Amino acid sequence: MTDPKKMKKNKEKSEKIGVYICYCGGNISDHVDVEKVREAAEKFPGVAVARTNSFMCSDPGQELIIEDLKNGVVDRVVVASCAPSLHENTFRSAITRAGANPYIYDHANIREQVSWVLHGDKATYKAEKLVAAATGKAGLLEPLDPIRVNARKHATVIGGGIAGLKAARVLADRGLEVVLIEKTPFLGGNAAGLDTVAPLGEQCSALIAELAKGVLEHTAITVLTRSEVVGFNGYVGNYNLQVKTTLSSSSAFDKAAGHVVPFEGDNADTPTEQNVKTGAVVLATGFRSYQPKTGEYGFDDHREVLTLPEFIKQLSEVNCSGDILELNGRKIRAMAVIHCVGSRQIPGIHEEDENGYLNEYCSRTCCSSILHAANTVKEQFPKTNIYDLYRDIRTYGRGQEELYDRAARNRVVFLRFEAGNSPTVSANDDGSDYALKVTIEDGLTFSEEIEVPVDLVVLATGMEAGDVSDLVSMMKLPVGTDKFLQEVHPKLAPVEMSVSGIFLAGTAQAPMNISEACNGAAAAAVKTASLLSKGYLELDPYVAAVDQDLCRGTGACVDACLADGALEMIDAETENGTEKKARVVPALCLGCGACVAVCPTGAIDLKGWSLKQYEAMVDMIVADELIDI
Amino acid sequence: MLITENLTRNFLMATTVQENKILILATESCAYPGADSVGQAHSSYPANTYILRVRAPVMFPERFYLDCFKKGISGIIIMSCGEECPYEGAYHAMAKRIDRVYQMMKKLDIDIRRLRITAICTVCNRPFLKEVNMMNDIVQELGPPVLKESQPPVTEQEPA
Ligand SMILES: Cc1cc2nc3c(=O)[nH]c(=O)nc-3n(C[C@H](O)[C@H](O)[C@H](O)COP(=O)(O)OP(=O)(O)OC[C@H]3O[C@@H](n4cnc5c(N)ncnc54)[C@H](O)[C@@H]3O)c2cc1C
Ligand code: SF4
Ligand code: SF4
Repeated sequence: MTDPKKMKKNKEKSEKIGVYICYCGGNISDHVDVEKVREAAEKFPGVAVARTNSFMCSDPGQELIIEDLKNGVVDRVVVASCAPSLHENTFRSAITRAGANPYIYDHANIREQVSWVLHGDKATYKAEKLVAAATGKAGLLEPLDPIRVNARKHATVIGGGIAGLKAARVLADRGLEVVLIEKTPFLGGNAAGLDTVAPLGEQCSALIAELAKGVLEHTAITVLTRSEVVGFNGYVGNYNLQVKTTLSSSSAFDKAAGHVVPFEGDNADTPTEQNVKTGAVVLATGFRSYQPKTGEYGFDDHREVLTLPEFIKQLSEVNCSGDILELNGRKIRAMAVIHCVGSRQIPGIHEEDENGYLNEYCSRTCCSSILHAANTVKEQFPKTNIYDLYRDIRTYGRGQEELYDRAARNRVVFLRFEAGNSPTVSANDDGSDYALKVTIEDGLTFSEEIEVPVDLVVLATGMEAGDVSDLVSMMKLPVGTDKFLQEVHPKLAPVEMSVSGIFLAGTAQAPMNISEACNGAAAAAVKTASLLSKGYLELDPYVAAVDQDLCRGTGACVDACLADGALEMIDAETENGTEKKARVVPALCLGCGACVAVCPTGAIDLKGWSLKQYEAMVDMIVADELIDI
Repeated sequence: MLITENLTRNFLMATTVQENKILILATESCAYPGADSVGQAHSSYPANTYILRVRAPVMFPERFYLDCFKKGISGIIIMSCGEECPYEGAYHAMAKRIDRVYQMMKKLDIDIRRLRITAICTVCNRPFLKEVNMMNDIVQELGPPVLKESQPPVTEQEPA
């Protein structure tokens, strides 16, 4: 690459650009005249062929590119299709399969940025322009070699709930060394408080005990409880975590029945800090239960109003016989459960929290969980009447709808309310000895107002994102509008984060039940293992490069550089004797381009994203005469 | 009726092609996925917007912006990650550079409203639409830039 002659040669523009335009099965072609774009593209400078296909990402679509490359028809590739984040890798690997260098390719985004936001002639015109710009860049692309860095066959899991335990075990089974970091003294997380769980009614403590045993017994897994990550640096394959283990004894935390305490009595007499060198991180930091506001459905105002986790706990401790449930010595002759508390909140209807937030999402587990609890009560204490006040019943998934059928058979009475017309909970004043009264306009009986006297109200409280703001700022993690950690793509990259080498497991990402949390954890673990298992990684070669012929040795780039040690001045032997020249250290270069902007002679540029390529793109965008309309 | 009117207008616009072009430099980790998210929501916005994916806008020297105006770009929006920039210090360095570009624009009599710098996140749909519409209003009002000293743009591209 540093051979000046070779660089010069590479800089010659390609005259063999292939343009491949996708219909996306109508997603693009319903709004963009794809054949017209192809006709236009055929006339762009340097374009050898332009082709179309219904799905460029399909095998026949990729085959078009591979054939043209193999036959020497093209030596640069432009694909015009969906957002590059979706299929850039697909097309790169197709090019590699054709025996060509994957970096000779550029992408025009004519779906997300054209056909989905525009219609008619304007859409076609804009698509042509974006394809033109991409060919402008493609003509200047050079083959590049990825940068190879060593990767540690070691992964760190943060969070020791169900998801973290599952991820740690799968990682270790794939041959990786694993450190599991849990901030409390317990393993099992929120599920430890659940007693039996929907849909099948297994004892959750048994599930946790089994998972924890598999983790604690595995020689490749180190479990650090009472520990938190306090420092983070490095890059994918080579991260360094500063982990602090604190003194606080188990009593500082609420232990739930199902928790596993791996190091009981071991209160680590001195707080310790250690450096964990790891290749990748799985975030399994979980959720926090929604805590209702004072007065929300009578919460805090009446001690007979409980949250779902409180009720599950009390129910698990019940030790009474007879056909009426007794809680703390109180007979529960009738109880009401209210769905969607703290979930599915609607702007303008529900009250925002102090920071102006609403939980607009569905917590996905509360319907099943509360119906499971209702069935548990009814099947043991059939004389306890249960009124289920719901907005919608969302018992999705295998074995879950049955919970609803079973509740109906168990004579749970269902009443339905609208979001804007929530039921109210108040002290009972009808002279009877029921403590509370629930009032609802029931949508199932033509909005009849119904008053139900009850001994107990249970609020189906949902999930909120856990507070991981320290990790978010340390690791620069993307967070969704729902405050949960955000994946790269909900369908195509569901456990990956935009920070390379960081993965998501369980409810840190979104509300999910135990099965889904385990699925996510296993997926994250397998992704992590396949990333690290070769022992090395190939990073994109998007780093700065200096054209030694043009470099006058001013050092402006070194001053502007944002990474320590990425640029240095060296003494180079040239035909004029010894001269100062800039040199890039590729492993340390961030590829930000801060140096590019300051070089007085344009000697330094970014490989794969060069200033010259951007100038060519702008030229193509403004070159109206090129477009045949 | 309305449809015919639109078609005619589109056709005229497409044939005369004096479109007021807006160039958007969008960071690959924030604003570019942000623009995609606007697309996923199928929210429409002006057609005269050309989004270029950039790693960090700090790479563009002052002259890049001026050249764009010389080449006939009517407005430029830099959509960065703001304080969330993955390259520490890059945002600050870029902001300082843009201040210098503004000074140079004033000297060349280019309305400084033609260049805007803003932070757009991956899910910032509303701010994205607001910025784009705002710039569109400005370029519709100002039209394509007319440079004081009529230097030819440094174009390498020859028409086909
Ligand atoms: C009321 C209710 C009822 C439910 N009922 C059911 C049911 O019947 N069936 C079912 O399948 N699912 C049910 N669920 C869902 C179930 O609880 C979750 O799917 C499961 O607990 C998710 O596990 P997790 O590992 O993702 O998160 P969590 O259980 O929250 O575990 C996260 C762990 O990470 C630790 N942690 C957090 N931050 C850090 C940090 N910075 N550093 C180190 N450690 C950290 C926490 O201490 C915790 O141990 C219910 C949920 C609720 C709220
Ligand atoms: S799971 Fe049911 S109770 Fe929970 S938020 Fe969704 S609809 Fe409401
Ligand atoms: S691209 Fe950024 S990190 Fe690399 S040498 Fe240039 S300024 Fe330094």
